[in-house]
Amino acid sequence: MSVLRPFQASDMFKFNNVNLDIWTETYNIGFYLHYLSRWPDLCCVQEAPTGRMMGYVIGKAEGQGAEWHGHVTAITVAPEYRRLSLARKMMSLLELVSDEIYRGFFVDLYVRCNNLVALELYEGMDYSVYRRVREYYGNLGVGKGGRDEEDAFDMRKPLSRDGARRSVRSNGRDIVVSAHDVS
Amino acid sequence: MSIALDRQIRPIYDSLDTGANKSAIVGCNKLLKKHPKNALVQALKALALVRSQKVEEALALCDEVLEYKPTDDATLNAMMHVLRGLGRHKDMITMYEAAYKKQPANEELGAQTFFANVRANNWKSAQQVASKMYKQFQEDRYLYWSAISTVLQANDPNTAAEMRTLLYKLALRLITSSPASSHVHPDRFHLHLTILRELREFDEAMALLETPNGQNICQTNLACNEIRRDIMRLRGALEDEGRRAEQRILNKNDRNWLEFLSVVDGTFSHLTVSKPSEDAREQCLSKVSNTLALFTKISVQDGKKDRSGLLGLLELESRSRKHGISTDPTRMVQLLKQYFETFGDKACCYEDLKPYVSLEGGDLAAWTEFLKASPPPLSTTENVKRVINTHKLLRYNLSASELTVEAESSRAVLYIEQYLEGLPLGKDLPVTELQHVDDFAILAASVFVNIWKLNGDIKYLYNAVVLLEFALSQSKQAFQMRLMLIRIYRLLGSPSVALEHYRLLGIKQVQNDTLSHFILSRASTFSLAASGDLTLSTECVESSQIYISNSQETSDFVIRAFSGEKYSQIPQFILFENWLDNSLQRDIVKLEYLRMRITHEVISSEVIDLELIELKFVFDRIHHDNRDLEIIPNYQPRDVESFNAQTMMFEKSEGHGWVWSFLKSYIKAFSQASDLDDVVEEKLLVGDRPQAAGPAKTGTLKERLAIREKEELAELTSDELSLISYADALAEWLEPFHDHVRPPASVVLAEAAKQTELKTGMPLKGVDITPPNGHVKKEEDTPPITEAPEDLVKFFENMKARFETVENAESPNEALHVATLTQEAFLLFVIETLRFKSASVVKIHKLGNLVAKFKPIRAIAAGILKDMAGSLEKMSALEGTSEKRRDFVSACMLPSSQMDDDFQMNIAKKVTDSRKKVEEGVAKGLMRLCSTYEQ
Repeated sequence: MSVLRPFQASDMFKFNNVNLDIWTETYNIGFYLHYLSRWPDLCCVQEAPTGRMMGYVIGKAEGQGAEWHGHVTAITVAPEYRRLSLARKMMSLLELVSDEIYRGFFVDLYVRCNNLVALELYEGMDYSVYRRVREYYGNLGVGKGGRDEEDAFDMRKPLSRDGARRSVRSNGRDIVVSAHDVS
Repeated sequence: MSIALDRQIRPIYDSLDTGANKSAIVGCNKLLKKHPKNALVQALKALALVRSQKVEEALALCDEVLEYKPTDDATLNAMMHVLRGLGRHKDMITMYEAAYKKQPANEELGAQTFFANVRANNWKSAQQVASKMYKQFQEDRYLYWSAISTVLQANDPNTAAEMRTLLYKLALRLITSSPASSHVHPDRFHLHLTILRELREFDEAMALLETPNGQNICQTNLACNEIRRDIMRLRGALEDEGRRAEQRILNKNDRNWLEFLSVVDGTFSHLTVSKPSEDAREQCLSKVSNTLALFTKISVQDGKKDRSGLLGLLELESRSRKHGISTDPTRMVQLLKQYFETFGDKACCYEDLKPYVSLEGGDLAAWTEFLKASPPPLSTTENVKRVINTHKLLRYNLSASELTVEAESSRAVLYIEQYLEGLPLGKDLPVTELQHVDDFAILAASVFVNIWKLNGDIKYLYNAVVLLEFALSQSKQAFQMRLMLIRIYRLLGSPSVALEHYRLLGIKQVQNDTLSHFILSRASTFSLAASGDLTLSTECVESSQIYISNSQETSDFVIRAFSGEKYSQIPQFILFENWLDNSLQRDIVKLEYLRMRITHEVISSEVIDLELIELKFVFDRIHHDNRDLEIIPNYQPRDVESFNAQTMMFEKSEGHGWVWSFLKSYIKAFSQASDLDDVVEEKLLVGDRPQAAGPAKTGTLKERLAIREKEELAELTSDELSLISYADALAEWLEPFHDHVRPPASVVLAEAAKQTELKTGMPLKGVDITPPNGHVKKEEDTPPITEAPEDLVKFFENMKARFETVENAESPNEALHVATLTQEAFLLFVIETLRFKSASVVKIHKLGNLVAKFKPIRAIAAGILKDMAGSLEKMSALEGTSEKRRDFVSACMLPSSQMDDDFQMNIAKKVTDSRKKVEEGVAKGLMRLCSTYEQ
């Protein structure tokens, strides 16, 4: 139960309860405006009936040929609204738009290898690890996460255009690439 | 351009790209020796100069290049950056227009001309350029550019209201003239619908929406669907929309709350008229029972998976009650119970139910009884959440009689007990996670603050900080606790501890605008700038960087949205830019910074001139308040002030009125002290004047400065109000003498031109530098010397008395407030009398008698300030003692098993050390300012 609506530039004035959380980065205004000026339909907000922001997703469409896909750049839910399936709803919208409007072959996203909660969530939504990207993230500086904290899993879910599921593989966790190799 | 020259220019670009402006200038100079009239090299040099802050030299070069009317890409591009750097958007338009005129077949030049107009918000010309481009290049895109420019012109606050509809009609005509229809492209479709909605052409809009393409777009595009929903509502088709929403909920499993609201709106569509007929009520009743069935079905089907069904039932019942057609008086409480039973273990339960629990009478009693009945043991995280929600919900409805100090105290004890009891549940959580029991601590701290509000006993604030510090040590990412701590530490007069916490929040980028109020609100009270510690004024400068980024970057994205045809975003981006540019917080910080600056820097005519120009710009703004005041948790009962209001320093929030009050005082003082009158300013101004946001403010500057509105003054503390009256009296007294002594514009301009020529070797454009003949002597005689108004001395004496009443208070804030305002009054006196410091001015204008009147005022003020400094010094000596720390610890009533003495002592030390530092620093600053300006 929440309002699903487009992300607007002025939401930058409202997203503090989401962004003050340690897992969520606040980028420069150009970052948000860049996404909105290119893929506004891949950016949306979940809002409580009171108007308080619950979470948002920011995505883009990219890639050449069979790599053409929707990408989840940031998805986040404020701590007090976790475990309400909000992320799932925002992902479904992003998948729908990536599929029907952009005609992408798959949707992908990056997640810290030690973020087990998120990993489980995405696996539950039919995402699977495609590869492990070394040192994709900076260190959070909060614990001894080691490699798992800095490395990312690139996870993918095929869309209807990839009926043969060519965009995923079962041994993805064993395929390691460096951060330069990914865009 | 020759290949050789091209090769020589490349390194200059490299230098510019890497920020090596000096070497870029050297490179340009070398080339200019051989090619003195090369426009590109000149433009690049101008760019390097702008970037090295050498504005005067850049201006001269820039003007020269503009005279050539360049058309080549490279020069135009360089010049675009130069002109942007100088804020000369109008010149940019002229430049591109001229180039486009010379090469009308050049599409890129056309687009750049259009963009130049967009950057200057010049919508009318933008529209004309786009229309011309459409005719020339036959691209649909340009037609849409011209249509949205027309819409933006209509929305511009400077456009007359009666023009709006006309402009929208024009925009519609433009779109419909296109051979291609709008619904091939979601953003074109969005624009088309926006225009139809504004013109209330609902039939036409519906025709578009019902095409297969239109339906498809609305399925996947939230922005278009939003407008569609809006149009349905505006045309009164609530019932249709409700039916459609019902289908979506049932068939597509859509759980967007907006769909549920549409169903509810549709249910009550017959009752929207003021006096519905009996028939309508009957119809509505039957629809209510249908919706009831629908939502009940959904809630059963979804169970704990989704809250929409149950919440929909609550909304339905709440509206039924509002319309007086509720059939079952017990249903509301029944639904609340059901909701609580199902979702009571979710953190958002309290917020979900809040709109529905403002109950009275029997309902309230039943609801309270339900909540109070046998709380579950704190053995699972679900139960913890449930108990927390119970407390929050009960607390919301507490009446005044239940809010005694005793009752509140026992609540605090209970919350803390439960906090500690449940804490072990989270012992294995990673440090990045929040503890499940955090809200118990937040509730207890809220209670402590409420008790402090009830009885004024500061020990409750001590308890609040110790508890929150403890809870934060267990839950390191609990930013809500940090925000509460920042507020309370400031109330306690410990600003440096507050700042430490603020920094740990990691505030970045746009958050500086929305959150810096936590630390910068009335920050000059705590500023130690006068004694050389620039921590807070640096904080002001850093938090203001975001406004520079905004003015440099945001318009680029407006342009990108045009290029990418994302029309739905363009009005949003413009709004965002505007709100940030005209942010209230921006200018609150500006004023705080200024108030700190004058305590630190020597007050000189340069400082005064620069600040005056800036403040006058600020004075033309229509502010927008972007401050986030919702972020701070509030669990106070509904009849009690919010936590935010309770913890506001001096119980007053500064808003528009506060800004206007101080702004007027400073502009008055600075414009009297400055030689820059409007004529001079106009001539010397670099760049365009900022566009007034909204209908031009009426009246001359002087008239506008003279107005003091009641509502504005209501935002001031009583001491600030005294300062403002003092400043008015001072300005009124000295105005005639300033006006008499101030040199005429021609003299000031001649001097400015001379200085520029010395610097750049080129004359100042548009200013006649021949100095006026002979000695300019004023025709009029010196105005009669008047006595100083009594209010001036009285102000200082009153402040002295005020200080004596507050210096022994538990928190030093009031004393600091009074002392820093008295210091400010003293500095305003320095500013207002600076002009008469010069012996020759006094002699020429025969002002000896006036100057003689300054002395006793200055002496009294300095004497009082020194006394205050002495008292603050003494206070600070006391703060540093172990006795004070022991007082703090003995005031704490928290269970010592967890929050032991060491822990408490540590916080006591932080609080008292911080107080000591601020008292000492302010005292030192007072002394320094007295010695600087006493004579």
